[in-house]
Amino acid sequence: MASPASLWLRKLRRSPLLLLILLYTAVSGGPFLWVALMSLRTTPEILASPYALPARLHLEKFADAWTRSNYGTYFWNSTVVVVTAVALLTLIGAMAAHCLARYRFRGARLVRFVILSGLILPPQLLILSLFQILLELRLYNSLTGLILVYVAGHLAMTVYILEGFFAQIPQDLFDAARLDGYSDLEIFWRIALPIGAPALFTTVTLNLIILWNEFLYAVVLLTEDDKRTLPLGIMHFMGSHQLDIGMLATGLMIAILPIILLYALFSETMIRGMTAGAVR
Amino acid sequence: MGAVAIRGLSKRYEGSAELAVKDVTLTVGDGEFMVLLGPSGCGKSSVLRMVAGLEPITSGTVAIDGRIMNDVPAKDRDIAMVFQSYALYPHMDVFTNLAFGLRRRGVPRDEIARRVESVAAKLGLSPYLKRKPHALSGGQRQRVALGRAIVRDPKVFLFDEPLSNLDAALRVSTRNELIRQQSEIGVTAIYVTHDQVEAMTMGHRICIMDKGEVIQVGAPLDVYREPANTFVAKFLGNPPMNLMQAAVVQAGTCPGLRLGAVQLPSASWPAERLRGLGGKALIGIRPEDLYEASPRPGDERVIAIPKATVLAVEPLGSETLIALSLEGVAEDIVMRGGRDMRLRAGQSATIMLDTAALHLFDPATALKIPRNGS
Repeated sequence: MASPASLWLRKLRRSPLLLLILLYTAVSGGPFLWVALMSLRTTPEILASPYALPARLHLEKFADAWTRSNYGTYFWNSTVVVVTAVALLTLIGAMAAHCLARYRFRGARLVRFVILSGLILPPQLLILSLFQILLELRLYNSLTGLILVYVAGHLAMTVYILEGFFAQIPQDLFDAARLDGYSDLEIFWRIALPIGAPALFTTVTLNLIILWNEFLYAVVLLTEDDKRTLPLGIMHFMGSHQLDIGMLATGLMIAILPIILLYALFSETMIRGMTAGAVR
Repeated sequence: MGAVAIRGLSKRYEGSAELAVKDVTLTVGDGEFMVLLGPSGCGKSSVLRMVAGLEPITSGTVAIDGRIMNDVPAKDRDIAMVFQSYALYPHMDVFTNLAFGLRRRGVPRDEIARRVESVAAKLGLSPYLKRKPHALSGGQRQRVALGRAIVRDPKVFLFDEPLSNLDAALRVSTRNELIRQQSEIGVTAIYVTHDQVEAMTMGHRICIMDKGEVIQVGAPLDVYREPANTFVAKFLGNPPMNLMQAAVVQAGTCPGLRLGAVQLPSASWPAERLRGLGGKALIGIRPEDLYEASPRPGDERVIAIPKATVLAVEPLGSETLIALSLEGVAEDIVMRGGRDMRLRAGQSATIMLDTAALHLFDPATALKIPRNGS
């Protein structure tokens, strides 16, 4: 048994770490908390005292924000774009990762290099050419165009995470399934995908979060109001001469709520999937 | 029905200059239990994987029931394999693991259920059908892997070191279980192992491989008693056969053998073969053919080797192993004795050697020199 004195000593030794964590939490969580509080206050209240707690909870602002701007449409557009893009990303990414992890074929290294090189290109670099390509394909200002851009842009990371996981599935399982009579495609569906579920889960959650918040491509590639996604919809509350900061905060909260919920529910599983390769 | 004929089989892996399997020819009869035995990296698993169709064949042929299988995909060869890692599908319960191959082959549902339950009952897996593999013990997983092969009712069973992940006690009982199952079902089996005890106890015949080549094929005891070369002599048996340098000397008209200071009878080997050895020979004697006292007093084939020094005594309970150094012999040797051995380390002793059990090898080729008339 440790004596009380040594217990204290241990706590004392850990205190700098604790302090650091507290500081980090304050820095990263503070602004979020501030916006969350502002979303429940009116703009005059905020301007009078920016950091005060809500005197009264203006929950009606959420309904207001939804109805005053085109939030229903934005929400629907975001859902369509993100769900379709993530579904395609998962399917294509899993197939590519399975191939790269499992089969030895001529040019495998080149294919891997080309796909993964997508990781190092900053999105700003591609935006001009993408704009031009989508114009020519008549996909500019369409949700389909944005979906395709999202799929292309996030395939690299998806393949990168999935390949590491798929490569760890023992070859014997695939050999056994072959002897059990299954074709390559059936083996992918019935063996690789179900066993890779934790990794798939990670990429699905990660892509959902990133794409739900994506702003840059959306703002360049969508200009019509009824095509816009949520991150663009928030701009509605930013006029050129005035800034309705209270409504802006409410709009932001509506936009990120689904993601916060998703993360709260699935962060454990996601982190497990990401670190699956590191520890065995 | 399922005779396997392997002819001139070779394998070269991509990016390797060496052949992993060199010109292997082997026939496994219908219902026979053939063990491929050899050290790791000898090519035995490569042979098995080529028979299974999991690895492309570089040259040569594999035929099952007379039909060449080189271009037949693994799934159409009607072969079942038990892997060292068991390769159970982790996301399926035991029932689904067993039924997976049958479902693909379009067997009716009630027939699948009947066959799975019968195999599960036979292997004592009935209480575990709803469990996932991770909730099973090592032995139970092993039985599921075996059951998955049995339930398919294939022409040929392939085993790739299926017992090496089990602990020692479980290995013995599972070994017996495997022997029983195979003889009951009577299906052709090819079993890869590096464990000589498994090879000796399980196989109808064993095929010993080294460096990608087949060295010797035969019934376990035949191979043990008549090893084709020094590799087989050292590989089979624990402790392995003692090999010692001996001199071939001219004694009167015919050549004689001398081990240290002791003259050994040489009349049972062809004189011209002995003369062709260039004065040197390797003699082999198994530890159990050396004695503290003559097993057959008066038998002139048992000769005494004096001035042996006891280096170490290892009492194993049921027997005692004695390491010895013989006068004028470079190699230390091991003698197997009874459990009440009285020799002590450092002692000098006279050892009895049964010359009827002597093996003679050509040091240049490592091949065994057969006795007259054999």
